[in-house]
Amino acid sequence: MQYATLMERVRHLAPEERNVLDSPYQIPNELYAALRSVLHDVGGQPDAPTPYLEKGEEDWEMNTYLTCECLGWRGAWNSEMRRRAENDLGATMYFGLPYYARWITVAAKTLVDKGLITTDELGQKIDEIRARLEARD
Amino acid sequence: MANPRFSIGDEVTVRDETTLFHTRTQKFARGRTGVVVEHRPEWVIPEDEAFDRMETGRKEPFYVVRFKQTELWPGYTGQSIDTLESEFSERWLVPA
Repeated sequence: MQYATLMERVRHLAPEERNVLDSPYQIPNELYAALRSVLHDVGGQPDAPTPYLEKGEEDWEMNTYLTCECLGWRGAWNSEMRRRAENDLGATMYFGLPYYARWITVAAKTLVDKGLITTDELGQKIDEIRARLEARD
Repeated sequence: MANPRFSIGDEVTVRDETTLFHTRTQKFARGRTGVVVEHRPEWVIPEDEAFDRMETGRKEPFYVVRFKQTELWPGYTGQSIDTLESEFSERWLVPA
């Protein structure tokens, strides 16, 4: 394959822009296309190898999964809304959080978006549980 | 299921359409040609499902398309018979 064709394919697959920008006055179309790349579409992007861990599911991970499924059964959201909400976290959060931490974060965000809970209710509940756990230790 | 436009064995090419905000159609599949190997039940397309349109969203047949890995990746070093399968709603496919 010709080098130019190869580079064109790679550019098409790996358009993520990883430089931190500071609200520039203008950007080229190519950069706009790269910036609105949907985050979960990572197939083909260059990356460093990651060690594979034979790690079992932890309680909080299964609880997260079940909570999210129950919210689906009750019609609060669906899996595609969850994936979109994960992408909408932005690159820093999306790649910074463990898999199920992304799930539970966007479950909470979606419930807030839909007016089913409020951010202060959620914050108070987190504080309450944290205090309970600290008292136990 | 509504009559699917494509049959098992049909060669199809994935459209390379501008995407805003959300998609399930991978960049590596766009513009690539593969073969329909399976029908999937009609369902709300992800572009609508992702925006909470379960009731009003557009429903379409889905297809499993099998690509040769050599078609997808430049300089693929594995076996030439290696394949990859992915799923697309009907609007993303055109006859090859």
